[in-house]
Amino acid sequence: MGILRYTVYRLIQAVPVLFGLSVITFLLANSMPGDPVSIMLAETESDPELVAALEAQYGLDRPLHERYVNYMIGLAQGDLGYSLYYNEPVLTKVAERLPVTIMLVASSFVFAIATAIPLGVIAAKNRNQPSDHASRIVALIGVSTPSFWIGLMLIIIFAYQLGLLPSSGMVYPWHSPDDYRFIDSYLGIGSTQVGGITLPWLEGLYYETARHLILPTLALGTLHMATIMRIERSSMIESLHADYVQLARAYGVSERKIMRKHAFRVSQLPIVTIIGLNLTTALGGAVLIEEVFAINGMGRLIITAIQNLDYQLVLGTTLFFGVVFIIGVIITDISYAYIDPRVSYEEDS
Amino acid sequence: MTDEPILTVENLKTQFFTEQGVVRAVDGISFDVYPGEIVGLVGESGAGKSVATSSVMRLVDNPGEIVGGEITYKNKTLVGFERAGDELVPRDEMLTNEEMRTQVRGNEIAIIFQDPMESLNPVYTIGHQLKEFILLNRELDKKAAREEAITMLREVGIPEPEERFDDYPHEFSGGMRQRVLIAMALACQPELIIADEPTTALDVTVEGQILELVKELQEEYGTSFLWVTHDMGVVAEICDRVNVMYLGEIVEQATVDELFYETQHPYTNALLNSIPRPDQTIEELVPIKGVMPEAINPPSGCRFHTRCPDAREVCTEIEPTYSEITTYDGWPHNASCLKHEDVGYDVSEPIENEARKGTEGTEVVQ
Repeated sequence: MGILRYTVYRLIQAVPVLFGLSVITFLLANSMPGDPVSIMLAETESDPELVAALEAQYGLDRPLHERYVNYMIGLAQGDLGYSLYYNEPVLTKVAERLPVTIMLVASSFVFAIATAIPLGVIAAKNRNQPSDHASRIVALIGVSTPSFWIGLMLIIIFAYQLGLLPSSGMVYPWHSPDDYRFIDSYLGIGSTQVGGITLPWLEGLYYETARHLILPTLALGTLHMATIMRIERSSMIESLHADYVQLARAYGVSERKIMRKHAFRVSQLPIVTIIGLNLTTALGGAVLIEEVFAINGMGRLIITAIQNLDYQLVLGTTLFFGVVFIIGVIITDISYAYIDPRVSYEEDS
Repeated sequence: MTDEPILTVENLKTQFFTEQGVVRAVDGISFDVYPGEIVGLVGESGAGKSVATSSVMRLVDNPGEIVGGEITYKNKTLVGFERAGDELVPRDEMLTNEEMRTQVRGNEIAIIFQDPMESLNPVYTIGHQLKEFILLNRELDKKAAREEAITMLREVGIPEPEERFDDYPHEFSGGMRQRVLIAMALACQPELIIADEPTTALDVTVEGQILELVKELQEEYGTSFLWVTHDMGVVAEICDRVNVMYLGEIVEQATVDELFYETQHPYTNALLNSIPRPDQTIEELVPIKGVMPEAINPPSGCRFHTRCPDAREVCTEIEPTYSEITTYDGWPHNASCLKHEDVGYDVSEPIENEARKGTEGTEVVQ
């Protein structure tokens, strides 16, 4: 019950944050130069009557505060607004794009965590030895290289020079043959061959998705791998020198078990924090990576919205990111209570 | 006590190889522990007490290394060297690290650390930790290990041990955690428990309770203790025999009564003068002036001459021999001080050192 109450409490706390976010985004979006209707009508000599009619249709002729209030009323009813550029409800676009970004971020975190934790442990075990220095260099490169640059380099090497992996044309595992009826042959799904065996359509789709994900995953995950690895290393070194680990040694516990159990579990606590925080920055990173690899996720949606002065789409997507961010932080907090017995939400809240 | 000692340490040397130089943390100490005895190892911070105990367990951290001496536990050679050409190499009968781990640590020699707040793993219940060590060091199945753990918790005075078994360390007070650690040590049924300042982190009332508990349990189980402390009060309370360490060396060794009433070494004397004693009324406690010198470059002659109130010229030149001064009730009383040697101490000039300089410009210790 404690955790449930705490969660509700944190969600209520998030409301004013989201309100502030909506005000700021609304003002920023509306202070951009240009107006969406003339972008809609493109280069054509616009007819003033048509412009006025369109503005009236989308409520753009109303004063700013009125438009804000209207938007918020819609939002309270679960309406994220209407995209002028796509001519579709914002929610539809978000529902279409969000899984793509989640897939990308999730895959890069699986990569980051799966590599960073063992490497961090090895570095801690062999402190100040060659493998530790090597991991330090990798981490330094990882944190100081921009992810889009890594992405471009990966494309140059693996896509163009070696021709091993695709650089664009992402496919999505939740799609059906219908979604690809026009480009099926181009992507080669349905005739994908692995080891001389032609994969069935669905397996081919999964295989292609995985192939397409490799480079963006590396590009987005490297930074997080580097930071998680460094934290894991220092956290592990700290717990390896802790009294309770010394005590375990003095009671005849083997080094292997100390590495896997006694020192390991405690040192995962800061990792949870850093993963929680990094997940949210990864959303920002995904914007760039999606652009580099031409992946139609939330990041590209936001960029398109901004470029086309699609106010409601900008607002909707930004608010959505805000919600994801807040939920991420809350999940991090709550997961603490599960892995660290010292943290309890029973009394407070 | 006519038995053989269970632990014999002879001329043990443990050094740390740092960038600044070789730190001779333990520099040729010898002592022994007989069955059922509580032997004290006393000295200021930095004297090498903890390094000495980790050497016994063979758990000296890098860059530290045992470079010489012999440690014998019952008939096992924990540390033993032989000469091979110019070098000292471990003898064949010296236990390997794996043998140390499986045959000695925990089941023969257990340890209790200074800080009960840090000695238990925060993410496992105390029951889990107790059970793990019992399973590792005794031939019991899981159910029996759990029962044994609960019995030991009751034995050390944890109320409602069945319920507390599943509690995490943070749900215990410092004194209670130290009781848990004592239960842990006893539950593995070792013959020797090394207690590394186990009451230093506790407040005085709790310290008193823990010392009482240890005395009771020691009588009940007959376990020997090597008790490391800097507190002469604790020594008086609990120890049978005492070794006083200064800068990596043992400077005096005697039974507790001899040490308190027939003190032979000025350092021991200084330690005793720096604590309040119920049998002496004094205006002010006398601290030991100055700080302990670095063990990288220990002072020449007697290592204590820089802070010794009785230091004379000769003390800076001649290294005192650690030798038997008297015997009391069959136990030797050893000390290393030139006062007891025929090297012209009486005719030598007193020297100017930290002890005589007054308090100005010197750091006061304790």
